[in-house]
Amino acid sequence: MVQEKNLLERLISSIDVWLVLAVFMLISISFFAIYSASFAYGLSFRYIFVQAVAVGIGLVCFLFLTSFNYQYYKHFSKVVYILSLMLLAAVLVFGSFKRGTKGWFDFGFISFQPVEITKIMFVLVLSAFLDIRVKMSKTLPFLISVFAILMGHLILIMMQPDFSSTLSYFPVTLVLLFVVGANPFYLFCIVVFGGLVVGIPLLDTFVNLQLKFIQDGTFFAKLAIFLKNDKNVICIIFSILVFIIGIWRFLWKLKIEIPIVYPVILCLAISLGSLASIPVEKSLKDYQRKRLIVFLNPNVDPKGAGYNIIQSKIAIGSGKILGKGFKKGTQTQLGFLPEQHTDFIFSVIGEEGGWLVSQATIIIYFIFIWRALVIAKESRDRYGSLIAIGIATMFAFYVVINIGMVMGMMPVTGMPLPLLSYGGSSILSSLCAIGVLCSINMRRYMYY
Amino acid sequence: MVWQKKDKFSYEIFLAKHKVILVFFMFLFLSLSLRLFYLQIINGSKYKNISEYQKIHNTKECAKRGVIYSADGQILAESKNSYAVLYYPCPGNQKPSEQILLELSKILQKEIKPSNSLFSKYGRKVMVLVENLTLNEVFKIQEKKFKLKGITITKASKRLYHFSKETSHVIGYISQIQANEMKHLSGAGYKLGDYIGRGGIEQYYDEYLQGKDGGWQIEVNSKGDKVRMIKYVPPETGNSIYSTIDLKLQYCAYNALKNSDTGKGAVVVLDVKSGNVKALVSCPGFDSNKVLNNRICEYIKDGKLPLFNRALQALYPPGSTFKFVTFAAAMDLLDINPYETIDCKGKFELGDRIYVCYHKTAHGRLNLISAMAVSCNVYFYNLGLKLGIRNLEVYTRKFLFGQKTGIDLPNEKQGFIPTPEWKKSKFKVPWLQGDTLIFAIGQGAICVTPLQMAHIMATIAKRGFICKPYVVDKIVDLNGNEIYKHENSQIKDRIELSNRTWEFLHKSLLEVVENGTARRCKIPGIKISGKTGTAQNPHKKDHSWFISYAPSDNPEIAVAVIVEHGGSGGLNAVPIAKRIYETYFGISASSVLD
Repeated sequence: MVQEKNLLERLISSIDVWLVLAVFMLISISFFAIYSASFAYGLSFRYIFVQAVAVGIGLVCFLFLTSFNYQYYKHFSKVVYILSLMLLAAVLVFGSFKRGTKGWFDFGFISFQPVEITKIMFVLVLSAFLDIRVKMSKTLPFLISVFAILMGHLILIMMQPDFSSTLSYFPVTLVLLFVVGANPFYLFCIVVFGGLVVGIPLLDTFVNLQLKFIQDGTFFAKLAIFLKNDKNVICIIFSILVFIIGIWRFLWKLKIEIPIVYPVILCLAISLGSLASIPVEKSLKDYQRKRLIVFLNPNVDPKGAGYNIIQSKIAIGSGKILGKGFKKGTQTQLGFLPEQHTDFIFSVIGEEGGWLVSQATIIIYFIFIWRALVIAKESRDRYGSLIAIGIATMFAFYVVINIGMVMGMMPVTGMPLPLLSYGGSSILSSLCAIGVLCSINMRRYMYY
Repeated sequence: MVWQKKDKFSYEIFLAKHKVILVFFMFLFLSLSLRLFYLQIINGSKYKNISEYQKIHNTKECAKRGVIYSADGQILAESKNSYAVLYYPCPGNQKPSEQILLELSKILQKEIKPSNSLFSKYGRKVMVLVENLTLNEVFKIQEKKFKLKGITITKASKRLYHFSKETSHVIGYISQIQANEMKHLSGAGYKLGDYIGRGGIEQYYDEYLQGKDGGWQIEVNSKGDKVRMIKYVPPETGNSIYSTIDLKLQYCAYNALKNSDTGKGAVVVLDVKSGNVKALVSCPGFDSNKVLNNRICEYIKDGKLPLFNRALQALYPPGSTFKFVTFAAAMDLLDINPYETIDCKGKFELGDRIYVCYHKTAHGRLNLISAMAVSCNVYFYNLGLKLGIRNLEVYTRKFLFGQKTGIDLPNEKQGFIPTPEWKKSKFKVPWLQGDTLIFAIGQGAICVTPLQMAHIMATIAKRGFICKPYVVDKIVDLNGNEIYKHENSQIKDRIELSNRTWEFLHKSLLEVVENGTARRCKIPGIKISGKTGTAQNPHKKDHSWFISYAPSDNPEIAVAVIVEHGGSGGLNAVPIAKRIYETYFGISASSVLD
């Protein structure tokens, strides 16, 4: 057995300095940005205090999880999964409403969002599941059981309902499946299916929005009117199906023999996706759909759904190279920016810090992701690698979606920027994840 | 590192996939960086401008236009602050709610009819709920402002014309600059929707009257609430203009014209010594206050052309008033004996055509002076024939016909003198002696404005010394500094006639009033000189002219009167002039202003 003294020594000697440095810098930036963003509300010290408490709690968790051997998660993966489901179920019963979702435990001065921590637990559980069953990764039943695990979380989260939190589950699942060697064709079909389910309602919304702004007679107007007709859309989907079968027949004739299962599954994915888009279209509220699609052209609704993106772009752009200076951003201080201390914190950095600071922030994030991937490579077992890749993917996904959103490249989804946005649950879960990463990293040379 | 060694094959597969993931993430972060570069470095200046622009809100505060005074210090035109309640339409709330309208009408105790103002009087398209509020009413509204969400109160200045009908043409009016006028006005600092003077003093002295618009520059937050004031530029009130208009005379002349047979015509009263305009009336006038309220259309449609400034712009043949030109030319050039008589048989034969005296009755034997007094055409036909068109033309020009007086009012017409060359080029027919005949008595194509006639009369009264007429004496800025004062330009120009001619001309003009066609104008104790005229009008009844000055020995004022379609000059125009003289010399109390 390892002695206590050795453990402490190892903790200090083998910790990933780059990773810790990146995290430390991001947290420092976050304090400045939150202070400036909430300065206009006159709540700077309150927000800074809450954030500091969250960081403090997070650091305790970080140290605990760092010293905790991650391999135990694999042994107790069922317990972890059940615990996460219980958390999500408990929030549906005991939680309180915030911004229309019942996703918060309210502890008076601080409230906690369990979905933030269950994301991490899901990564641990899924990695364990994949690691144990890696041999059967090519089969369809394996895939189905993975998605069954996923659905357990998704259904409970959708009941809150918290649409944007569910989004982060998909890239993690897909990337981990890819790593353990699931059939890429199946993954492709899943992406096609998901794309259709969400894409068709969004396309419909976009066509509706855009119709008001394009002139009659142009190509796009004709296209938009053509797509407005449901019959035409069904025809298009049907012709795509016929086309796929045709290609398959053609390749068969050329002696490239692909099993019939593949085109059938692809066609099935397309038709099921199209069908499933109908209930999604009904369940998504109009404003949500608008918010998701308006980034393509914020000017179609400049006072409504497009407002956030327009103002955020102005804020970032107006920072130019050197920025307007700490607490001197007009967009930030005069309240033009929406949600500036949470989802749009990067706009504050962009406006007040300019290109230098915001580009540096992106680079620090990349260093963080890169270190996480290095940890995955150096992990002593596949389980650790999977966890590290899952966490890296989750962070990368959050960063890209959030920064892409504030720069008008991605839909407005209401996802926080990990480690930077104000929010205790977010920072706590981020630090927990980093704790797990460090735990993997420190145990890379351990044999027992 | 256990599994790497235990299962080398699967670890290598893992490494390949790991690389794919790393490259994929690199690609994602690279595109984020590129986008950041695009926003901040390439388009940074554009967004910087937008952010500067959207935090600053400019509110215009219109300058008050200057005051226009009459010669005796009465206010003719001034600007008063008025307040208006506006409603800014916003998405979703294009119209103010019923509750607001109800509350407003309760406060003001009158019904509110929102009007969609189509022109940008208040800076942008807004709905004007109530206009022309007093300060008291504004306070009442401010008290209840919490109930009246979404309304705005703005200050605007409103032009107010006293004696608007009487002075309408000499003062003019103001209206907004239209889009099609911007081309030539934008250089002078005017903006679309600004008010600009139209006609009269308002137009000619617009740059003095305008003043400078001020305004507030406020930093606003995203809700449009004021964060802090950046700067406030107070508007500068326009300068005050002291005109030479004698309100008593103006008032009297306008009413006399209005009550004449046709109610159409013009009067110009000039001060002989300085050339200042004591009265300038064109009848019918218009109510400049009504024009301000966008009711100009009813005047445009009016067949009597009330917007037409007859005193400056209408061209009439001078008729018999022109005879002094023929008279002077004959005296100067022909060396005729003014007491030599000619027998007027009532007609004059030239070739196969017969030219008649106005009354078609014979005047009998007349000398030059009595011919002038009774306005005998036959006598002047003779003179005209003897002089010839060339000499007549020279004297017509000498007497300032066909050139602008140079008065400080806009759109003055210069009149016209027909010449043989003009006739040749226009009608391709040579000038005939018959043309010379009618030219000699001021008929035909020759035409003048009433102002020109008054100016010429004033010049004759001064024995030919030309003095430019003017309406604005001085302009004073807000602090009382005189920034403009009319100065009589050194009298250089003079109508050169021999002394004998001047004496006989003055004598004959006096005779016209004493014993001639203008006997109705005789006022006991005051000697008046003048000349009547009847401008032939081929379409309708002739126009009636009377030009005169008084007192004859020491002239003070010159008066030109024309009554459109007034018939014979002695009949309609003369009594108007008489009333003006009575008012000027304070003889009759009837026409004194209340």
